[in-house]
Amino acid sequence: MKKLIVLGVVAGFVALLACYGRDALGLYRLMDHIATSSEAKEADSGSWPRLTDACIGCHGRQGHSLHQGYPSLAGQPAPYLASQLRRFASGERSNPNMGPLAMTLTEYEIQQLAGYFARQSAIGNGSFKPEAALVARGEQLAATAGCAACHGDNLMGHDQFPRLAGQGHDYLLAQLNAFAQGSRKDPGGVMSAIAATLSADDRRALAHYLAALAPAEN
Amino acid sequence: MAGKRTSTPYLDLKRRQMLKFAGASAAIGGFGLCSGLASASESTRPGDDAEDVLDVAIIGAGLAGLTAARDLHLAGNRSFLVLEARDRVGGRTLNFEVGDGHVSEVGGQWIGPGQTAVQDLARQLDVGTFPQFYEGRTVVMGGDGRLEYDLGGTFGTDMTIADKLSEMSHEVPSGAPWQSPKAAEWDRLSVGDWLATQNVQPEDQSGWDAALTLTGGVSVSKMGLLHYLSMINSADCDYEKLDSIKDSAQGTRLIGGSQILSSKMAGVLGDQVRLQCPVRRISGWDGEVVTLHTDQGRVRARKVIMAIHPALCNQIEYEPALPAARAALQRAWPAHSPARKIAMVYSRPFWREKGLNGHILMLDGPIIWAWDNSPPDGEIGIVNAFISNANLPSDHETARRTLMDIFARAWGDEALQPVAYHDQDWGRHDPWSLTCVSAIPPGFWSTHGEALHPPCGNLFWSGTETADIWAGYMDGAVRSGHQSALQVLNALRQA
Ligand SMILES: Cc1cc2nc3c(=O)[nH]c(=O)nc-3n(C[C@H](O)[C@H](O)[C@H](O)COP(=O)(O)OP(=O)(O)OC[C@H]3O[C@@H](n4cnc5c(N)ncnc54)[C@H](O)[C@@H]3O)c2cc1C
Ligand code: HEC
Ligand code: HEC
Repeated sequence: MKKLIVLGVVAGFVALLACYGRDALGLYRLMDHIATSSEAKEADSGSWPRLTDACIGCHGRQGHSLHQGYPSLAGQPAPYLASQLRRFASGERSNPNMGPLAMTLTEYEIQQLAGYFARQSAIGNGSFKPEAALVARGEQLAATAGCAACHGDNLMGHDQFPRLAGQGHDYLLAQLNAFAQGSRKDPGGVMSAIAATLSADDRRALAHYLAALAPAEN
Repeated sequence: MAGKRTSTPYLDLKRRQMLKFAGASAAIGGFGLCSGLASASESTRPGDDAEDVLDVAIIGAGLAGLTAARDLHLAGNRSFLVLEARDRVGGRTLNFEVGDGHVSEVGGQWIGPGQTAVQDLARQLDVGTFPQFYEGRTVVMGGDGRLEYDLGGTFGTDMTIADKLSEMSHEVPSGAPWQSPKAAEWDRLSVGDWLATQNVQPEDQSGWDAALTLTGGVSVSKMGLLHYLSMINSADCDYEKLDSIKDSAQGTRLIGGSQILSSKMAGVLGDQVRLQCPVRRISGWDGEVVTLHTDQGRVRARKVIMAIHPALCNQIEYEPALPAARAALQRAWPAHSPARKIAMVYSRPFWREKGLNGHILMLDGPIIWAWDNSPPDGEIGIVNAFISNANLPSDHETARRTLMDIFARAWGDEALQPVAYHDQDWGRHDPWSLTCVSAIPPGFWSTHGEALHPPCGNLFWSGTETADIWAGYMDGAVRSGHQSALQVLNALRQA
């Protein structure tokens, strides 16, 4: 791949037309994609090699995960992201994938990463297929329990309170279960206390509602 | 949703047969491995009686653990057990039974030049090999762009940079990178730090990230240079033998699928392999007799072979606590290499008729690399691909459709008629692999290297990650199995 792309740049488009004939349009578009995407990445996350490239495989491009089990990082408050990375590194929040990775990060890198993902705008969880009844029940539960009191208007998050709107369903449910069972603890203990009052069905409905909730413009 | 891994609209019956097979994959030919808690009450098996002390307990029935067991068996020892958490053997190798006797691999699959330990094992077990198919044009995709290009069995690497890496790798011993005379200088750097000094053109950058992600387990910014050089050192100090297809570590496949090696070894061992038997706690490792606390009760042994990687070792509780240096190594051991791999099955490898080789290299898409993984005779067509975990929806059907559409853009509308689809993310499937290869970060070997090999009391560290050559590969797993069998036999002799 690398060789042929270099070849393209050196030989120029006209010469390649001869070699590729009817495939020239495809080639042109490929070259165009490489040029525009590398410019866009440069503007978005600085010059290569990029630290964020170590994250996008599991958290999606620009922190937009398409996978219900891997959390989106886009649009999460920077202070929240930074403290989660520190807590993974210290072991206070335990996860076999994130723990050792977070231990490799310097405080400077943590700040960079938190800032980068916080800058990306949150987008809707497009690949989630909600069930209307569960969504309705979740919405009601969230209103009664006052989740927005901490997680902010439209559950968009701020400071140490994560955005919940549009997060991956399987991830949300796993976190609510982890709080309820005590395998994840937040520093103040409030989330653990709240989750402990929720039944397994409540947690399912809440995860469903939150995953389906479109992030508000901020 | 997340639990569904396979869809075979036309092969559902076959799939059910396969699942049965997967449930006790080692039972080919009725070898009769004991599995499940049901059999835990039978007290006739070795190691069951709490008073019964085995010579050796082996944790993990992957290639490393089973090779060690096979060696003990060949040496005449019968006082051992292999304890395996899952309901199958093979660890990070797993066959996907497509039907009609065809298989594809869900995990590790290739062997290559210089991987003599696994080659020898295959010959001893009467498992044949065949070349990875690459003849024809690869399709390169990015955005709307598409290009067909014959890469001649390579990944088209910029050889001026690769040659420099090969040269440097002479100074980094594969089995102990921290002993390199250059360790202080090179272990401070990531591969990215070094590449940043090599004037890599924008067109080449994502190629390096993809290559490092596939081979090293992480993009260039978090891959330790010293470790990467130790991997090239394993490949006879030749970058192309590590990271290419033809004459390289992605060049040769095993007939019957890679898991067959483990299935055959386990078959001979019979009920000395105990399935569904995760070890949760190890006590008294510093004394004469070690006790392993499993979901099927206690097992006591004089020596223990830990044939699991350090991040898996870190999931076990130790009493007393392990020495600080070893505990620190296990806690820091990286387990963040994405390992989502798919298989799309077609009635025939239709792309070959068009001069295409069934390989795709994709920029900024869900696919990192797709390749033709059809059986030796090409009787049916199978495409495997490494997937960027979070850049393809987790929903089974949505993922299948997305990939089908990409394959149709690459090879034509025949791609819209697959007969089966399989999708497994090793990081999420169960807790017994966590990851793919170990993406050792900068600084790791200087801090933790010395703690990798020395046994702790009667615990002997094995698994591919401890191999002196080809650590991280199936070949390394086999080597580490031989090595640990020798170590425990010697330790028993001294006891
Ligand atoms: C997607 C993927 C692709 C790969 N591609 C290749 C390739 O093409 N070529 C190549 O050479 N290598 C490849 N590899 C790597 C290769 O598969 C491994 O190096 C090799 O299989 C490791 O063997 P092992 O025996 O050391 O460890 P494992 O295979 O991990 O075996 C460890 C065993 O221990 C069990 N276990 C874990 N914890 C416990 C416990 N507490 N108690 C009891 N049992 C436990 C596990 O279930 C497992 O069976 C790939 C790996 C993956 C995931
Ligand atoms: C191998 C996959 C993988 C990679 C690579 C990875 N992560 Fe993660 N990350 C995860 C998983 C899985 C979780 C969820 C952990 C849990 O369930 O507690 C997570 C969680 C997180 C969280 C917490 C999110 C929240 O809402 O609380 C942050 C922050 C994070 N990762 C940052 C990063 C950064 C920064 C990088 C790159 C340097 C990265 N991750 C790379 C798998 C990965
Ligand atoms: C009193 C304040 C408070 C209230 C009320 C509250 N939360 Fe939280 N929640 C937090 C804090 C703080 C965290 C971050 C915990 C940490 O740092 O580990 C959190 C984290 C979470 C997370 C994990 C998100 C992630 O990205 O990992 C979920 C899910 C969650 N809350 C759901 C809810 C739901 C649902 C409700 C309402 C039923 C709710 N919370 C009400 C304070 C609150």
